[in-house]
Amino acid sequence: MKIDRRLIFNFDWMLVLFIALIVCIGVLNLYSAGHGISGEPYLKQIRWVFLGLFVMVLTFAFDYRWIARYAYVVHALAIVLLIAVFAVGAVTKGSQRWINLGGFSMQPSEMVKITLILALAKYFNDHRIEGKYGIRQLVAPFLIVLVPFILVLKQPDLGTALMLMILFGSMVLFVGIRWRALLGLAAVGLLLIPLGWNFLAEYQKERVLTFIDPERDPLGAGYHIIQSIIAIGSGGIFGKGFMRGTQSQLKFLPEQQTDFVFSVFAEEWGFMGVLLVLVLMLSLILWGLKIAQHSRDYLGTLIAFGVTMLVFWGVFINVAMVLGILPVVGIPLPFFSYGGSSMVKMMVAMGLLMNVSMRRYVLQS
Amino acid sequence: MLEKPDKLVRYDPGMYRERFTFFFWVILVAVCLLVLRLWYLQIIKGEDLLKRSENNRIRIREVKAMRGIIMDSRGVVLVENRPSFDVVIFPEDVKDLKGLVEKLEALYQKVNLTFPMDYDTILENRRPFTPLRVDRNVSREKLALIETHSLELPGVGIDVMPVREYYYGEIMAHVIGYIGEVSRDDLERDKAYKSGDLIGKFGLEKALDSFIRGKAGGEQVEVNVIGKKVKTLGRVEPSQGYRVVLSLDAQVQKAAWTALEGKAGAVVALDPRDGSILALVSRPGFDPNLFNRGISTDLWEKLSSNPLHPMENRAIAGQYPPGSTYKLIVAAAALEEGIITPETAFNCPGHFEMGTRTFRCWRKQGHGRVSLHRAIVESCDVYFYNVGKLLGVDPLAQYAQAFGFGTRTGVALVGERRGLIPTREWKLTRFGVPWQPGETISLSIGQGYNTVTPLQLANAYAAAANNGEYFTPRIVKRVETDDGEIIEEYRPEKKAVLPVSQENIQLLKKALWGVVNEAGGTGGQARVAGRDVAGKTGTAQVIGMADGDDGSSYPYEYRDHALFVSFAPRDNPEIVVAVVVEHAGHGGSVAAPVARKVLEAYFAGKPKQ
Repeated sequence: MKIDRRLIFNFDWMLVLFIALIVCIGVLNLYSAGHGISGEPYLKQIRWVFLGLFVMVLTFAFDYRWIARYAYVVHALAIVLLIAVFAVGAVTKGSQRWINLGGFSMQPSEMVKITLILALAKYFNDHRIEGKYGIRQLVAPFLIVLVPFILVLKQPDLGTALMLMILFGSMVLFVGIRWRALLGLAAVGLLLIPLGWNFLAEYQKERVLTFIDPERDPLGAGYHIIQSIIAIGSGGIFGKGFMRGTQSQLKFLPEQQTDFVFSVFAEEWGFMGVLLVLVLMLSLILWGLKIAQHSRDYLGTLIAFGVTMLVFWGVFINVAMVLGILPVVGIPLPFFSYGGSSMVKMMVAMGLLMNVSMRRYVLQS
Repeated sequence: MLEKPDKLVRYDPGMYRERFTFFFWVILVAVCLLVLRLWYLQIIKGEDLLKRSENNRIRIREVKAMRGIIMDSRGVVLVENRPSFDVVIFPEDVKDLKGLVEKLEALYQKVNLTFPMDYDTILENRRPFTPLRVDRNVSREKLALIETHSLELPGVGIDVMPVREYYYGEIMAHVIGYIGEVSRDDLERDKAYKSGDLIGKFGLEKALDSFIRGKAGGEQVEVNVIGKKVKTLGRVEPSQGYRVVLSLDAQVQKAAWTALEGKAGAVVALDPRDGSILALVSRPGFDPNLFNRGISTDLWEKLSSNPLHPMENRAIAGQYPPGSTYKLIVAAAALEEGIITPETAFNCPGHFEMGTRTFRCWRKQGHGRVSLHRAIVESCDVYFYNVGKLLGVDPLAQYAQAFGFGTRTGVALVGERRGLIPTREWKLTRFGVPWQPGETISLSIGQGYNTVTPLQLANAYAAAANNGEYFTPRIVKRVETDDGEIIEEYRPEKKAVLPVSQENIQLLKKALWGVVNEAGGTGGQARVAGRDVAGKTGTAQVIGMADGDDGSSYPYEYRDHALFVSFAPRDNPEIVVAVVVEHAGHGGSVAAPVARKVLEAYFAGKPKQ
């Protein structure tokens, strides 16, 4: 493949800087959060980072317009994997999320977030209209999200399922929706709530109920969130110091390498540290918006916007969750939470962002 | 590079500015929301939540105090503490309980031991965050076995507890007692106890528990989520219980125990000058070391179903007819009441007629004409039948009570009994039948309803030996700190003075000396070379036997009790020894040698007068 010199010239170093800073802090934090756990999770995470970097380069090496051509195929493939999960997937903690692919296991539900963004971006790019979308024009894109949504909900993985809907909602809001259609979709969403409720495992229902009334079961479902709030709050302004968070080091904090990894950071680095991370995340998100805004074409705008939303909602929902302002739905913190699928997914997302960013001045032939 | 032209409109990013602005504000508001919440939690509520995180990780744990040691009057250590090791399982650290139990079983099997708990029992008994004791009080070998394999046994640990080491085991079991885990009743009775404490359950361990138990310390430890100690943050040392110094003499006690070898009975030795108990033995005994960590049901069953009742402290709770040892009291009463003089003589033809009944003297052929001195020396029954008849039951009871019979001596031990001194009134209320004159005749040689404890007997003779003045028997001299600072001192406590004149007391003492030292005396076997021993034999019938029968043909429980009470030296008595040997025959032949051995042990190494 011939490399256009402009691609190198337009390489988005700022984006790389944000990612590098965030990933480094994330791995450092994981070193502390996973301390004393067999296998030293941070070492594995570093491997995932390198795998992610490789996939990221792969993602921005090919023009996103070329990638978008296969968006539906890839999305369909992801859906097939989601179905396959039910057949051959491994059950952990009462839900079936993992699938073994030639030696390593992955979560197709993470992958489907990316393919959904691509598929929706392609759809809205291919079906551009004057003005705003009505309910009829939204049936097809809604089907694009509904199928994986139901499959993921069935696993059951409430967090990811909601994330898919939120991504869909964000993109629809961005491309423009008529008020009537918006109200209609909202109504459908409300109708889906009782339906979705039945999909949930008992422990997930318990979590949601606990969020509504945290004192319901302080030693059971409420325990997680109470311990998380204690961890974060006890960090104070400057934190207890690296590797010195008592809540995390003594393992009072549950799921501290995955969903509650932010609580570890907040406990050890305090308000100042947390502010730094949030500012970095915000910078990355706003930088993503800027890339979307300055894209060469509409497709690029949609893809960049989609992945930016993926980062934004990931950060917001996770942090809001560990802070006790949203129910514990099990969404990992981008770049921070331990897990290969999540890390690779974020790197692919960043690859797409870079893809759009570095091709912003490449003129159409 | 590839591309087809845009379908509808030429691309102009500017037309989406409004939408970007909208999302920009959504994002900004969302992040501000998070920052506000963080501000609230970390800065406003930071202090509170820091405290809560400290509460999470810091636990105050009790550090058990060592119980105080117990020593005899010469400073010989009788009881100390030693560590006891338990194998415990921390349920939260065990992933595969079944596999772990199998591993433990295999490990025990390898050294030909059986792991005491099976999987189901463990499953049933485990409680979250509470270490489960699966094998208590393990040997050093087992300890080493577990520790060398600790890496293969995750979740298995060793817990140390201080327990008692009773150096004198059975010999002092009844006096010192034993410890055991606090019961629900104990917890309600005494607020100082905590669940799981080892407390005194019997004997002095129980009576002096408040002194011996000490004060628990505390330890501030950092624990992880499963409650396992990570490190110690601070520690308040427990203070060991106070040291108890007894009046007992381990040497005399041991001699008394050995002298009763193979027999059931009791020995009490005390110092008549101040009431200090030198020895208090009850046989058969039991090993108090077995009670340390809770006795097994099997062993308990065995102990409690033993017909000889090894748990009973016969010295204070055994109630025996005093037999001829009672003649001292009968004689004292008669002399004081003026019924006889030392010269009053009665003829002993070997039997005594009272109405239709015949009462025999132990000596079939009789003693002939005897006065008081010879009557005591030879223990003539007929003489005392005559005296008793003249004296009557109630005056005798009065004197018996004056000698301390019929009431508890007040020794600081749990479980002391009263014995019984019958009176006319007592019989009427108890049985609704008036007193029969014949019963007084039996009473005058210590048979019938009256019963005494060995301790009462010893104290009554101590009264005579000490010229009338006697004390509440005392077994604890003092309670002190490790540095010897006295916490509580138990001084000799004068109880009463006998209503007997010095003249009469000296007379009686002389007669008691004669029992051991004069020709024809029944207590010759109590003689100790170079010491002036005085005493009185007694043979207490359990049932009436035919003439001249030594009882060996009767079943064990119908044979006579052998008694002997003595003091020495005659002129300035330092020690009184009362011996009761159950169902063993004659006092002179069985009990007197026991007393001799106790006296020998006491006088061993003491300069002769």
